[in-house]
Amino acid sequence: MPLDFNFTEEQEHLRRTIREFAEKFITPRVFEIEQKERIPNEIIREMARLGLFGVSIPEEYGGLYLDPITAGVIVEELARADLSCSTPVLYLVHTAWSYIAQKYGRKEFKEEILPLAAEGKLWIGIATTEPGAGSDLRSITTIAKKEGDEYVVNGEKAFISGVREALEQFEMGGGHLTLVKTAPEKGHRGMTMMFIPIRSPGIAIKYEKGWGRKGVSWASYKLDNVRVPEKYVIGNEGRGFYIAMEGFDYARALIATVCCAVAKRALELTMDYIKQRKVFGIPLAKFEGIQFPLAEHWARIEAAQLLAYKALWALKMEREGKMSRFEVSKIAAEAKMIAVLTAIRAIDDAMRWFGAFGYTEECPLTLAIKAVKSYEWAEGATDIMKIIVAREILGREFLPYR
Amino acid sequence: MNIIVLVKPVPDPKAPVRLKPDGTIDREKVPLTVNLYDKHAVEAAVRIKEKYGGKVIAISMAPPHAIEVLREALAMGVDDAILLSDKRLAGSDTLATSYALSQAIRKIGDFDLILCGMESTDGNTGHVGPEVAEFLGIPHVTYVERIEIRDRHVIVKRLVEGGYEILKVKLPALLTITNTANEPRIPTIRDVLKARRKTIIVWNVDDIGVDPNKVGLRGSPTRILKIEKVILKRKGKIFTEPDVDKVIESFLAELKKDGVSLVR
Repeated sequence: MPLDFNFTEEQEHLRRTIREFAEKFITPRVFEIEQKERIPNEIIREMARLGLFGVSIPEEYGGLYLDPITAGVIVEELARADLSCSTPVLYLVHTAWSYIAQKYGRKEFKEEILPLAAEGKLWIGIATTEPGAGSDLRSITTIAKKEGDEYVVNGEKAFISGVREALEQFEMGGGHLTLVKTAPEKGHRGMTMMFIPIRSPGIAIKYEKGWGRKGVSWASYKLDNVRVPEKYVIGNEGRGFYIAMEGFDYARALIATVCCAVAKRALELTMDYIKQRKVFGIPLAKFEGIQFPLAEHWARIEAAQLLAYKALWALKMEREGKMSRFEVSKIAAEAKMIAVLTAIRAIDDAMRWFGAFGYTEECPLTLAIKAVKSYEWAEGATDIMKIIVAREILGREFLPYR
Repeated sequence: MNIIVLVKPVPDPKAPVRLKPDGTIDREKVPLTVNLYDKHAVEAAVRIKEKYGGKVIAISMAPPHAIEVLREALAMGVDDAILLSDKRLAGSDTLATSYALSQAIRKIGDFDLILCGMESTDGNTGHVGPEVAEFLGIPHVTYVERIEIRDRHVIVKRLVEGGYEILKVKLPALLTITNTANEPRIPTIRDVLKARRKTIIVWNVDDIGVDPNKVGLRGSPTRILKIEKVILKRKGKIFTEPDVDKVIESFLAELKKDGVSLVR
C-alpha cells in the first residue's frame, strides 16, 4: 500500500502542539506584527524554545533534523495562525536554507554556526536577487575574489528577507547564503554560495517597504569589500547556482503549503461570516452565487494542498535517494505555481463576500491577500515556475533561454 | 517525591460533538484531548518534580484510542503513563471510576501525592478526585491553587468563595488543582518526539484486581435518565425612550424585575 494520505501520529501530535502555540502566542498579535512591522522578540524566543529553528539541523549540532513533510506540517500551522505570513516566512526561510547549510557547509562552518542556528540564536537566510538580476540569476554581478584564506566580496543584493532580524533580533546575529560570482567568465558555472553574516563590516543596508507580510524585514544592501572566511563557502566553488536551486525547491514546497493554509483559513473565517450575515432575510451562505465558488475554491485549495505535500514528499524521497533533482524541482515548481494562484483567487473572492468590511484593514483577509501576492515573485516568479515545468515536460531542448 | 496525576481524556471542545440517542456524548467518534483542568494538574506535578526531584506517573481510564491523550501528558514532562482500558469499565460513573483508579494507584503503590484537575470539562462533577482519596483512605484538598512541600506535608492555598484557605496536610494526600494554579507548558518539538518513543502501559480489570461487579454500568449506582439541552434565549429588548436617563432607568427597572440585585 504505497499511497497513503495519512499523517503519522507523531506529525499529528506536533500539529496539535504547534497549533496550541500559534493560536496562543501568534494569532492575537498578527495585526500588531503587521502594524509595527516586527515580530515581537517574545514570539521569536518562544519559537526558538519549541525548537522551530532546529528543524533542518542534524542532531549532532543540536537540531532535530525533521523530514520535509513534518517541516511542512509545522509551517502549515504557523500560516493558519498568521495570515500575514510573517512568522511562517521567518521559519521557512531558515528551515530551507539551514538545510542547505548543513548539507553543503564545511565542518568548521557547521561546528561554529549550526548549534547557534538550531538554538534560534542565529538566523540563516538567502540572498540571490540583485537590482539587475532576479529570475535571471546568471546575470548577477556580485563578485568574490579570493585573497589568502578569505574572499573579498563586492556587489549588491536586493529584496532580501530577514535582514533586520539577523542584525538585531537574534542574539548571535545571522546572515544569508549569498550567491556570488567567483569566476564570472564561466556563467552560472562560475557561481559560488557563501554564508555572509549581516553584521560583517562593509555592508550598507537600505530597508524596503513591502505591501504585505511586513513583520519580516525586507532590505537591499551593498557589499563593499566584505571579507568572508573561506570556511563560510557552502559547497564547492562553481556549484553555487545548483545549490541555490536545491534550496529554492525546499522553500517553494514550504511556500506552497503556506499559501494553501492561509487560503483555507481565510475561507474558514469567511464561512463563519457568511453563515450569520443575512441579506434579503437569509444567510449569505445559502446563496448559490456564493456556495458554488466557495466549493470550487475549497476543492482547488485541497488539490493544491495535495500537490504541496507531494512536493514535500518528493524532497523526502530525494533525501532517501529515490528521486532525482529534476523531478523534485518540477513538482516543487508545480506546487508553488498552483498554490499561489489558487490562494490569491480564493482570498480575492472571499474578501468580496465580506462586503465593505472585507476592504477594511480590520479584515484579516487583507493581510492574507497581501502576503500571498508576494509569492507571485518571491522564491521564484510564477513564470519561472512555468519555465521549469515546461522544461521537464517538453525537454531541455525547448528551453527559451540558455 | 513520587506523584501520580489523574488525566481524563475528554471530547475536544473545539471539535463538533455528536450525541447518542440517549443524549450522552458519543465518545467513540469524537476526537479526544486532555481535560483542560488536568493539564494544570500535570503542570503542577511536573513543576514539583523539577523542584524536589522524583517521578510523575499519569493514569487515565479510557478506551484504547485515548492513548494519544497520555502522550500529551508525557510530552509535558510526565515520566510514565498507564492506561486503564477494558470494555468492562465502560459506563462507569464517578464512584466506579474512582474505585478502578484507586485500585490502579494501589498497584503502583509508592506515591506521595496524587494530583488531578478540579473537575472535567465534560462531566464537570469534580467527584473523582475526592472519591479516589476516600477509597485510598488519604486526606484530600480540592481547588488548590498553590502547593509547597515541607517535611512530609503539603502547605496548600485552597480557593473558597470570596477568599482562600491555607491548609497543612500530611502526605500522602490528593489535591485537585484549579485552572488558576499555573500556565500549562507547551512542550517543545523534542519533548513531543521523546514522548512518542515511550511505552504506555495498558492495564485491564484483571491487572488491577477490581471486582468486575463494582465497575462499568453494573457497578455504577448513578443512572442518567435524561439529558436536556438548555437553550438560553436572549430577550433582545430595545428601549426607545428619547431621553438617555429614562432609558437607563427603564433598563435598570427591567433588570430588577429579572431578579438582578443592583449594588450602588
